[in-house]
Amino acid sequence: MNRRTLGCFALSAIVAAALIGPAAAQRRGGDVVIGITQAPPSLDAQVSSAQSARNINLHVFETLYARDETATPVPELAEGVKISADGLTYAFAIRKGVKFHNGKELDAGDVVASLERYRKVGASPALVAAIESVQATGPYEATVKLKSPQATFLDNISSPRAPIAIYPASEAAKEAGKIDVIGTGPFRFVEYRPDSHVKLARFDGYVPNPNGKQTRDGFAGKKEAFLDTVTFRFMPEAGARTAALEAGEIQFNEMSDGPTVKRLAADRRLTIHKLLPFALQVIKFNHAQAPTSDVNFRRAVLAALDMEEIMAISFDDIYQIDPGWLYPGSKFYSKAGAEKYNKGDLALAKDHLAKSGYKGEKLVFMVDNIRPNVDTATVFQQRLKAIGVNVELSVSDWPTVSKIGFTPTGWSFWAHGFGIEPFEGPGSVMSPWVNGLSQQAKDPKIDALAAAFALELDDAKRKALFDQFQQHMYDDAVAIKAGNYGMFQVASARLKNFTPYRIPRMWGVWLEN
Amino acid sequence: MAAFLARRLAGALIVLLLVSLMSFALIWLVPGDPASAFLDASATPDQIQRLRTALGLDEPLPLQMAHWYGRILRGDLGESILLQRSVSAALIERLPATLSLAGTALLIATLGGVAAGIVAAVNHDKWADQATMSAALIGLSVPDFWLGLVLILVFAVSLGWLPTGGFVPFGESPLGWLRTIALPALTLGLVQLGFIARISRTAMLEVMRQDYVRTADAKGISKLEIVVRHCLPNAFIPIVTVIGIVAGALLGGAVVIEQVYSIPGVGRLIIGAIAARDFPVMQGGLLFLAVVYLTVNLTVDLIYALVDPRVRLT
Repeated sequence: MNRRTLGCFALSAIVAAALIGPAAAQRRGGDVVIGITQAPPSLDAQVSSAQSARNINLHVFETLYARDETATPVPELAEGVKISADGLTYAFAIRKGVKFHNGKELDAGDVVASLERYRKVGASPALVAAIESVQATGPYEATVKLKSPQATFLDNISSPRAPIAIYPASEAAKEAGKIDVIGTGPFRFVEYRPDSHVKLARFDGYVPNPNGKQTRDGFAGKKEAFLDTVTFRFMPEAGARTAALEAGEIQFNEMSDGPTVKRLAADRRLTIHKLLPFALQVIKFNHAQAPTSDVNFRRAVLAALDMEEIMAISFDDIYQIDPGWLYPGSKFYSKAGAEKYNKGDLALAKDHLAKSGYKGEKLVFMVDNIRPNVDTATVFQQRLKAIGVNVELSVSDWPTVSKIGFTPTGWSFWAHGFGIEPFEGPGSVMSPWVNGLSQQAKDPKIDALAAAFALELDDAKRKALFDQFQQHMYDDAVAIKAGNYGMFQVASARLKNFTPYRIPRMWGVWLEN
Repeated sequence: MAAFLARRLAGALIVLLLVSLMSFALIWLVPGDPASAFLDASATPDQIQRLRTALGLDEPLPLQMAHWYGRILRGDLGESILLQRSVSAALIERLPATLSLAGTALLIATLGGVAAGIVAAVNHDKWADQATMSAALIGLSVPDFWLGLVLILVFAVSLGWLPTGGFVPFGESPLGWLRTIALPALTLGLVQLGFIARISRTAMLEVMRQDYVRTADAKGISKLEIVVRHCLPNAFIPIVTVIGIVAGALLGGAVVIEQVYSIPGVGRLIIGAIAARDFPVMQGGLLFLAVVYLTVNLTVDLIYALVDPRVRLT
């Protein structure tokens, strides 16, 4: 071997080392403890739409289709789907060789039993409302027949809201909340201590989807687990989560606030992550009673509001001023109606108000006791005072406001976040306004647009329909979007390759020594 | 003694009946609906109605009440809507954590409070008295959640001696149990310690002014013996009364401390149930806490009777 050949070998070795460098840093093993704000209502993934349940359950369970990094539905436990020309039949080819945590191989029987179960006990019934029947049409094929075409069906099947998780048929036969926690995901269930923690361990029999991206990709892609165990500790007190992180007892804090993050920024043992956007801050109007039933009154409010003021006060350091009712970067993102967003124009607001039937009566702004929502209501109240609108705040807990807020009396305004809907896509963003559910009076234009959107299979036409919806939201001030907000997450600096997403994904991450 | 016990038991039963009525009324008094909390916003009114029917929320009031009393008389507190399991089982599995916390806090408060009270009384109007009572007043005035966070910062974050929270059952690891319960029990106990210290001081001072104490002093008996043999047993009645009250307050305070220290106890279960309008857990939890409270009070009454014969005769 001459010097030149040796040199070539050496160069090749350096290049190879550089290329595989990041991979070499990956380390299998280690235990991570995550501090989460609430205990999951259930580990039966199908029956809970709570964020705390998603955080855990989406490590254990998988769905036929799942959302990728851009929230687009892609096959996960399915190899793909054949959709009939009339849009009524979906034949899902099921991946072969996928193992449940109990060793059983996934087949069409499990898929059918899981979908049927969701139709009976699922926490988001609207996701499967269009299904007429589900049948196994082969050992690895499940066929779904719809009552009427639904362009959003794959969006629904892949929704992480209360996921249509696939269980072994034996578990799917059980009542809500009575299952053994057995999925196909990269982590398997180990232990649940009520109000204390849930512990998961790496599932060594996990079979990554060979047809998907071979990297982490939203809720899909290759879900490679490096960590031995992941424990989700339920820690409602924010100060206690921060203290546990600083003391090294937990390696990840699901949610932190701006002032705390500023203090922790100098700590080299920690890494700050920004999950932005996480939700839209929305102010709803009650269209069932005056004066919020009056379009001129609503336009006056929209014109008056300074969104920068609302968002900066409510979501210190973690917000975006953005007119879109979907998250920036999503497929159907739109700026329709943006010219009416964030005007902060009191003169224009007074013009609209003069045309409305408002006579100075006191109006109730109903809000739950979460600080940013109360701040939003307070800024709103002060701003509207400037145009002569008299707003009174009514602060209660979430079950109270969510009970009153879906009735036609007792409130005029209501502010809260919309987190999962913009992630799920246009169908889910339109859905709360269909049949007047959120505004308490039917809006024929929204109903027509949503119905057309559900039937339309062409993406360009769907985009146009969503543009019209968003334009209408601004033209008639159906409801007001104030901005996008996010949350700070703080991790141990030893936790490598973490990227914020809808849940704190613990696949594709590893602990450095 | 039997008549005394019977009177106390009858009183406890009346209280229990009232609490059970209040527990039942919760479902009507508290705004919010478990059916709405259980399903998400995409649920149609029809789906919500079906769930309300399944949960028995649309039955006539007398029927719901008959079901409620029928169940509690059989010792069945119902099924949790959110946890989808028996309320009794959920309460029982969380009871060890709450009893560990409240029991240890009671021990800290009682031993520390009585000792501080004696020190203050014996050194009446001296610096030790002023210092002990000032400390007791501070302890009484400090909010327990704030004290909890300060203790976490000092002993868990800065010194790293103890964990910031969580709970290890005694059966699993006695040392782990002690480490996890130490800070929460100290937090909860310190606040009540001040209360017991002040009452103990007053009771001791009153006894120390009695003629028989002066006589014992004149006879040359040591101060320690006077305090331990003559004063303390006689000052015990008001102290036992306060300990009974404190035991109840500790159960209430445990709700906050369980949140701060992430302890999986009964308080956290009830707080979670209130947030989700899980009425069976709210109702069962209230009834359960009332039973615990009444048992503590009955025990205190029995201790009275044992300590002071006059109580048995009234």
